[in-house]
Amino acid sequence: MTRRLLSTFIYVLTSVIGLLSFIYPFIWPETIMASAVHGQAHSADAPLMLSVLIGLCFVALLLEIQGDSVSTKFIALLGVLIAINSVLRFMEVVIPVPGGFSPLFFLIVMTGYTYGGRFGFLMGALTLVVSALITGGVGPWLPYQMLTAGWVGLTAPLCRPLVRMLHAEDRWPEILILALVGAFWGFFYGAVMNLYFWPFAGGSADQYWEAGITLADTLKRYAVFYVATSLVWDLARAVGNTIMILAFGAPTLRTLRRFQQRFTFEYVPGVSEVA
Amino acid sequence: MHPAAWFAWLAGAVVAASSTRNPLYLVVLLLIFVLVVEAVRSPNVYTPIPVAPERFMLFIVPVSALFNAVSTHFGDTVLFSLPDFIPFFGGPVTAEALVYGATSGLLLSVLFAAFAVLNLAVSIRDMIRFIPRAFYPVAVVISIAVTFVPTTLRQIQKIREAQAVRGHRMRSLRDWLPLFMPLLVGGLERALQLAETMTARGFASNATPEKNAFTQVGTVAGLILVLAGGLLRMAWGEALWGNVVIALGALVIGGVVWQMGRHVTYTTYRRNAWTARDWMVLTGVAVTLVVLFVFSDRLARYYTPYPAVALPVFEPLIGLALLGFMIPAVVAVRGYLESVQVPVMEGQRPS
Repeated sequence: MTRRLLSTFIYVLTSVIGLLSFIYPFIWPETIMASAVHGQAHSADAPLMLSVLIGLCFVALLLEIQGDSVSTKFIALLGVLIAINSVLRFMEVVIPVPGGFSPLFFLIVMTGYTYGGRFGFLMGALTLVVSALITGGVGPWLPYQMLTAGWVGLTAPLCRPLVRMLHAEDRWPEILILALVGAFWGFFYGAVMNLYFWPFAGGSADQYWEAGITLADTLKRYAVFYVATSLVWDLARAVGNTIMILAFGAPTLRTLRRFQQRFTFEYVPGVSEVA
Repeated sequence: MHPAAWFAWLAGAVVAASSTRNPLYLVVLLLIFVLVVEAVRSPNVYTPIPVAPERFMLFIVPVSALFNAVSTHFGDTVLFSLPDFIPFFGGPVTAEALVYGATSGLLLSVLFAAFAVLNLAVSIRDMIRFIPRAFYPVAVVISIAVTFVPTTLRQIQKIREAQAVRGHRMRSLRDWLPLFMPLLVGGLERALQLAETMTARGFASNATPEKNAFTQVGTVAGLILVLAGGLLRMAWGEALWGNVVIALGALVIGGVVWQMGRHVTYTTYRRNAWTARDWMVLTGVAVTLVVLFVFSDRLARYYTPYPAVALPVFEPLIGLALLGFMIPAVVAVRGYLESVQVPVMEGQRPS
């Protein structure tokens, strides 16, 4: 009971810190203003500090998520699926694809939905690590990508209650709901990834914030910035995710479920053997 | 060089680059990092960086400068104006915004070059070896995934050939399904075999990270400290105290990671040796950081073109100190020269 409570605490705290790191420019714009005007150097080290916060959050979440005991089946399944997903991303580097479209979200959503949030989180985060290792893409952006892609897998099973409510298991509405999840994350992944550099990339804080600016104004400015810079890019990702889930979702889901039964097979000794 | 020396070099490089926006220092850093990239790049080995840092700079600096110039309308030196009816971009285009955008692009290029060095210098195996013991299962998963990538690529080729023999042609999106499904099913079958092999070889009997209520309490305490430090910085603008509390939180979480990984057995086939060259690199980084943060004025590193663009100041001491990051290039070139065998002519005594 205590451990379960502590586990919940860890999930809540990491979510709060991660969320605050991404959205704090909207809540406390005056802090960035002040640091840019008076503290000067602090505005330069702010992205580094945010990377540290996100990195620590990720370490704590990973410690909790990787669990007490990990079976060989879990490790082997995760490793091989990550290899397939990393190859899909590798092909995206080799073959030019439109905008922000990336085939890697397809398997993250499908495995997160089928095998659970823990599996989905690890699938998302570690796919980014492995693909970064094989394509030479290790950089300061990696902790953000890992955490956000992890969130994609972690949140995918949240649509299960809706599927159950509609009695849509193994029917086309289930694929439609998953396609909507894919489309949502197509946009939201880009919007979240923008947030880590948005307040600092454009220049000094007063370019985006003014003294006394309200939360609504800041959100409006970000919306304009997002529409002008990222919408088309993210649209390609959202459309790509939707098409992939609609086209390949049903057979993939059937295959993953079939193997789920094989992977969760457990040997239980019979009565005569125990005796 | 030892991977730890490379990680220390990278940490120093990122800290130094993040502490300045002065374009002159950034150019010096970029030149040094490009030199190190060239020194550590081997012409005969696969180099896992998609773009050379100098090419990345040639793309990102103009794009960043142009984008900032048309999207930011601050600064005194107005070059021209875009019509106001264009949303977001309408307004005066200033030289200050142009310079700031270029500086941002330059900073990004410097960070990109620093990480390009790491990608080139440290092998994937060494990077995985650096994953803390507490994340032993994660490290095993990453190892398996990296090992299976070439196998998966070969599998794709085999499936393509097999489908081509059957007359399969790629005409629409649906035609990808006969390629993808065998790949997925084959991969899952291989995962089952691998799991059985791992169990047969006694993987499950290995020590797993020790997670208990004590380590969970430590994680919660560390996260509370990190949250408190973050709030001190973000909500109340107390940068110094915020940093101290975040560092405390990081220490607590680091302690938990250490505690959890204490009982995980760690074996290695070939241990990397820490040599005098690694000490030289570490000393160079330490000297640079000490000069930057102790012996130079913070304002000397700071540069902003707003409100009116002016030439940045160049302090020779800082410029000289940044050369400390060049030691890996010197070490690499020296190592290369030592490895090249000089032919000895007849009648000539080898020196």
